[in-house]
Amino acid sequence: MSIHSIVCIKSVVRAAADGVGRRTPDNSELNPFDRPALEAALQLKADQGGTVTVLTMGPPVGAEALAEALAMGADRAVLISDTALAGSDTLVTARVLATAIDAIGPWDLLFFGTRSSDSDTGQVGPQTAAVLQRPFVGGVNRIARGEQGWELQRLMDDWEEVWQAPAPVVVTIHPMAFKPRAISLPGIAEAYACPAVEHWGLDRLALTADQVGLNGSPTRVARLQKVVRDRTCRMLEGEPPQQVAALVDHLERMGVMGS
Amino acid sequence: MTEPFIDAKHRVLRRSVRAFCEQELRPIAAEIDQEARFPWEVAEQMGRLGYFGIQAPPELGGAGLDTLSYAIIIEEVSRVSAAIGLCLSVHNSVALFPILAFGSAEQHRRWAPLLARGERIGAFCLTEPNAGSDAAGITATALPDGDHWVVNANKVFVTNGGIADICLIFARTDPAAGRKGISVIVAERGTPGFVVGDLEDLCGMRANPVSSIRLYDSRVPRDHLLGKAGQGLAIGLAALDTGRIGIAAQALGIAQAALEEGVLYARQRQQFGVPLARHQAIQMMIADMATQVDAARMMVYRAAWTKDQGAPVSRAAAQAKLFAAEAAGTVTDLAVQIHGGYGYSKAYAVERFYRDARVTRIYEGTSEVHRTVIAREVLG
Repeated sequence: MSIHSIVCIKSVVRAAADGVGRRTPDNSELNPFDRPALEAALQLKADQGGTVTVLTMGPPVGAEALAEALAMGADRAVLISDTALAGSDTLVTARVLATAIDAIGPWDLLFFGTRSSDSDTGQVGPQTAAVLQRPFVGGVNRIARGEQGWELQRLMDDWEEVWQAPAPVVVTIHPMAFKPRAISLPGIAEAYACPAVEHWGLDRLALTADQVGLNGSPTRVARLQKVVRDRTCRMLEGEPPQQVAALVDHLERMGVMGS
Repeated sequence: MTEPFIDAKHRVLRRSVRAFCEQELRPIAAEIDQEARFPWEVAEQMGRLGYFGIQAPPELGGAGLDTLSYAIIIEEVSRVSAAIGLCLSVHNSVALFPILAFGSAEQHRRWAPLLARGERIGAFCLTEPNAGSDAAGITATALPDGDHWVVNANKVFVTNGGIADICLIFARTDPAAGRKGISVIVAERGTPGFVVGDLEDLCGMRANPVSSIRLYDSRVPRDHLLGKAGQGLAIGLAALDTGRIGIAAQALGIAQAALEEGVLYARQRQQFGVPLARHQAIQMMIADMATQVDAARMMVYRAAWTKDQGAPVSRAAAQAKLFAAEAAGTVTDLAVQIHGGYGYSKAYAVERFYRDARVTRIYEGTSEVHRTVIAREVLG
């Protein structure tokens, strides 16, 4: 059986000094948490054969993250990009991805990173599984063929959990579980040798503008405030025993040490 | 805003190369400089990833990228380790490129895939004790004898010399013909009479094993002649046009690294109760450094882009090399100045950048030779 894996990736904002991320090419990169997920899918392909499709939703700059995925060894790349999608929350993102995944065709495993390095919700993977009504296992660090589908291992504190899940199944991959491969130069040349990234608009997905973007999103960011951490230095007086007593007293009052 | 000359492919390339260098090369960059050690563990990875065959066609084992990609790769590698940037620049531009451009189909098949995959390292052997800028003054000879050339040569300051397997030897095949009697013979390490001399104890670029290479009555097969007999200087000049873009990109990478370190230190270091960056004297330096780096980058990328358009590139390449090398000198000097006494210590990276930058004004044509080339182009 040839395995078809789909990896959902995100082109994240590298820096947002004033709280607003500008999605320019130089300020965007492939979400570092998605790289292990991509690596997991590519290793599965290397071990068992099959194909890997990468999928992203976002502004056109996302094509560069998809090209990186192609250069790493993915076979097909789909960019869902439409101005109507701007402002979509995680639920709408999950719905759009699920619609695209149905349009891409039959699949065996759907991979996500555990979260994104910019908005950091960790919701899109499990939400997409819910929309698709498929089983979901989070933080997976080993994938093998199971009795009736897939056997998925994850770490919980010091315990290994092993799950049996019927195919197709949705997973997020633990960030430390798979070391992403370095991108080869011929891989980059091949990624750009033909127009490999497919661009899909809303029309391709039979979605309307009122179902997506800000209009379709039940949540929105109400307020953004920079967290300022003040550090102070206080010199303790006296001999060491007095200094220790003063320190313990202070830590107790701060609530970091039980009295 | 989009950057001139650069497209999405180049951006992806830059990100990927930078990520690789930060992960694999950064942790050892200072150590390999101090130990004067060539890092095979990283070079082997680079070979598998295509760094030794940047512009070679895929059917010969290369990555098939353009000259601008080549410049970006050399810039990014040199930003972390100029000595490894040097290894790649020389290998790609003055060893592999002449074989691709002037070699026969049989020579392509024999050498290009091994070089492009980094399984063999290339070197360019032109300079002799008494012939550097005066390339036509070489005394090495390769005289026909049956099916072989009998090669006698004393080549010095050979970049990659200590690790090179496939060496382009410039030698007189017709000693009576002057400049037109110089040819390029490809000599392989291991040929009887092929001797690698001691490694040079250099000021900078210390992780590159620069050595002399000497051939004593070495018998090299006749089909190791690259191009035609007497074509040596033309091959050398063509190779150096590409090589200059590489060395210019290398100087740019060093300057970029020095700028970044200078900015970082200016923000961290406090004097007179405020960060250095708040002092106008330091701001003036940072402004000059950033401007020099930007101008160098535009000239380097333009030269590479010009070559990719198939247009004549001698002048653009010479100007880029001259400017970028001089800029690297200025910018690394200012970076040391911003660091004060610490900048003169090996504890800070700018000390290495300062040493590494110096030779970019000397090798693959001194700044003075480049001015001569440019003046000739301008004045006709």
